[in-house]
Amino acid sequence: MSRNATRNSSRNTSRNSFLESTLQGFARAVSKALQSEQAATQPGLLQQLDPRVRVLGILALVVSVILCRRPEAIAAIFLVAVALAVASRVSLTSLARRVWLVVLGFSGVIAVPALFLTPGQPLFTAPALHLSISVQGVRTAVLLVLRVETAATLTTVLVLSTAWTHILKALRSLHLPAEIVTMLAMTHRYVFLLIETANQMFESRQSRTVGILSGAERRRMTTRTAGVLLSKSIELSQGVYLAMLSRGFRGDVRLLNDFRLQPRDYVSLTAFFLTACVAVWMGR
Amino acid sequence: MAAIFELQDISFSYEAIPAIRGLTLKIEAGNRIALLGANGSGKSTLLRILDALYFPASGSVKFKGDALTQERLQEEEFFLNFRRSVALVFQNPDVQLFNPTVFDEVAYGPLQLQWSREEVILRVEETLQTMSISHLRDRSPYRLSGGEKKRVALASVLVLDPEVLLLDEPTATLDPKSQSQVIDLIQHWKGTARTVVTATHQLEIVEDIADRVLVLEAGAVIAEGTPSEILSNTDLLLRANLIHAHRHSHGGVEHSHPHLHGHSRHEHEHDHEH
Amino acid sequence: MAQPLQRCGDGLFPSAALAAEIWNRLAFEPANPVEIDQIMHIPDGYLSPSTCATFYVVAASGWYAALKRIKRLLATRAIPLISVFAAFCFVVMMFNVPLPGGTTGHAVGVGISAIVLGPWGSILAISIALAIQALFFGDGGITTLGANCFNMAMVGSFTAYAVYRLVAANSDLKSRQRVLAAAIAGYVAINASALVTAVELGIQPRLFHDSSGTPLYAPYPLHVAIPAMMIGHLTFAGLAEAVIAAGMVSYLQRADLGLLSGVSGGSGFAATPPPASATTTAGASAEPSPGRLWWIVACLMLFTPLGILAAGTAWGEWSSSAFMNPHARDQIAATSGNHAPPSSVPAGIQRLSNIWTAPFPGYAPSFIRNQMFGYLLSAIFGVGFLALLALVARAIGRKWSTGNLRL
Repeated sequence: MSRNATRNSSRNTSRNSFLESTLQGFARAVSKALQSEQAATQPGLLQQLDPRVRVLGILALVVSVILCRRPEAIAAIFLVAVALAVASRVSLTSLARRVWLVVLGFSGVIAVPALFLTPGQPLFTAPALHLSISVQGVRTAVLLVLRVETAATLTTVLVLSTAWTHILKALRSLHLPAEIVTMLAMTHRYVFLLIETANQMFESRQSRTVGILSGAERRRMTTRTAGVLLSKSIELSQGVYLAMLSRGFRGDVRLLNDFRLQPRDYVSLTAFFLTACVAVWMGR
Repeated sequence: MAAIFELQDISFSYEAIPAIRGLTLKIEAGNRIALLGANGSGKSTLLRILDALYFPASGSVKFKGDALTQERLQEEEFFLNFRRSVALVFQNPDVQLFNPTVFDEVAYGPLQLQWSREEVILRVEETLQTMSISHLRDRSPYRLSGGEKKRVALASVLVLDPEVLLLDEPTATLDPKSQSQVIDLIQHWKGTARTVVTATHQLEIVEDIADRVLVLEAGAVIAEGTPSEILSNTDLLLRANLIHAHRHSHGGVEHSHPHLHGHSRHEHEHDHEH
Repeated sequence: MAQPLQRCGDGLFPSAALAAEIWNRLAFEPANPVEIDQIMHIPDGYLSPSTCATFYVVAASGWYAALKRIKRLLATRAIPLISVFAAFCFVVMMFNVPLPGGTTGHAVGVGISAIVLGPWGSILAISIALAIQALFFGDGGITTLGANCFNMAMVGSFTAYAVYRLVAANSDLKSRQRVLAAAIAGYVAINASALVTAVELGIQPRLFHDSSGTPLYAPYPLHVAIPAMMIGHLTFAGLAEAVIAAGMVSYLQRADLGLLSGVSGGSGFAATPPPASATTTAGASAEPSPGRLWWIVACLMLFTPLGILAAGTAWGEWSSSAFMNPHARDQIAATSGNHAPPSSVPAGIQRLSNIWTAPFPGYAPSFIRNQMFGYLLSAIFGVGFLALLALVARAIGRKWSTGNLRL
């Protein structure tokens, strides 16, 4: 993926590539958001369910993933997650790209030394290097990677099949305080505006930069952009504040709650919880 | 019958910087007023004072005969009535669109003013239809174009069916087509709002949206009149920094006379030959 | 055939170094699309359910307290300010900050956030940014969100705020002392967060393993986790935070001094007059005064003897003498899946254990017999030492800003 590009760009000092990787990061965040919005409108299994059921159900499965003590049970939940993804029209290639490879690259690599470091019964020994892989090491590495992969798959499937606003409303009806939900919503809304602003600032600085900048100059560019972004953010927040007051805000947050549970929601919720419990019991 | 707004010798400063100085103004129901002035002349500040977002340090503001003060707005009934009757559309739509979706945005005002759930949904759907933005109802603000954002911003205040509409630079940063749409809307909107106060520095739209013009400079009103009176007074416009004069050429002749640039529905007059 | 533990023991230190190096490389090689230093965002699966639950409880009380305070301080202004600031932090987290030496790092923004919003506002802002990362972008786990918020938003904010106030003291808002204070605050805060994260990860194997000794969650004990995490943060992430915090304070000194006085004194926040119904407490300060902070630290110190409750010795933290002592050998065996330790001291431990003798080996100077007293004393020394460092830093900062110091 772009991992190699990242490695190169973060080490490349001969060009002002720190700008490029930042800009690439912005582009990826925006495309990820758009992808989420599109996927949430697909006619899949999860999309048919009440968002609260989706949130609770997936949460139950994630909790069961970390409660299980045996890799077989976790692997079973992983298969359930993949099945949910397929049924909800989430493309497996995008899952692979977004989740599976990424997790392997990160947690997978982190788990490798555990093979050698975990004390226990040796499985394989390389006498010349004084290194040996223990059974426990293999088990713990497998457990870790499986857990992370499965949990990440579950949360990604949830996020891709549910519009952000629905997630927030689900959280609200699950009794998260209204102010917190409002702040989450507002932050999300303005993240993209600020990304665009920062993008424009960096791009214009990039186009005005001739030659190679010194380290100090690059730092100054970054902190100045951050500083201007901060000023604009505060100004924006003051404007938003007035706009809220102007339309009647006095401190309490009022939201429209429009979810109704249907029979299939009850069925699915039960199914989710049953699966979670079975997995935990079998994997104890 | 009391004037809708009555401002008596008000002054307001941002910390140490004076923004409005000794301003007196009366706005009757049904007035269509344009506040003309360059940036920094105090137009936005005046609109915010009218919308009870800022309170003047001295002088008095009356809304329909009632004093418009912070204390008065603590009273529930007065508050609900005022916020419904007077609506402000901000210059920067991003500031006004702070909800996750268009539907939520338009529903925000009614919800805050404690309308019932059914009323809210009904009114919101109606307004979305009127403004031709029903297809955008589940869209997030960051995916809207400039013109769409403006329409949503307008919808979010028009849903309340206000009596007074305060517009801060409604056509700035819009492409010509969107500008026309906004102006048409202001002209033809048949709600109960009869009083419209528009702050702008774009002279070309003044005749379409106002029958009374106030020219502001450095926080004070320096002139008042009908659009044709004001727009033909080039000295005044120059002084208020609303037009400029610099050397330019057309018709093969280079000369200098006051004019303005940009999309214009009128040509400027010449009194010389080419 | 050689005992298994001996085999592992021989390679213990080189392997730990290998782990540290790999972990270290990953610290600035984020692979996820949102380009965040993922190392401190603990994903799902690294922490046990009870750890997750505990930290959710702790975090929830932190959020609740923060929300109350911010509402009292800012009233209706809180929601737009905190939200937009959280969005700002989110975006800043995506910046590649060029560091001395040619590489780049990522900042969290906790430094500038604590300075401008105060510690409570910063807790909320950073927590919200983290929540959005986890819930919307899928970075960082949802079961570990409580722990992540505790580490970065809470420990980070309070540390940054305390260090900033300590080092900046009453210096002029425009002085260079403030810039230095911000840099140190950011640096220390990130490393404090990293330390807490490392501890959370490091205690997993000992507390949560199955009967055969397999760690069920994060697999590395404290003596691997701590160096592995700290190396990456002492060098890169800490510097990135320092650069951002210092750079922002420097920018605010030129561009917007009001913001620098922060939320409680901030004229930058009073540019728009207070709303109709707010109970504005313009002069009230909701941040804990430095005096209160010292009380909190003192209380924490009193809790250090809790370490005694962890029965036995920390796994892996044995001296060469432990291998000779029969009582200690039993302990080692009990905590290592009942594998008997080698009969002689492993060569690696023998070689290295004499290189560094901590001033207080076993956390208790030899003349103090009572364990609890020894813990307390060590804690006092530890904190006192850090406080001394802070005072020295402040003195240097003062000298530097008045031009009396030649570097």
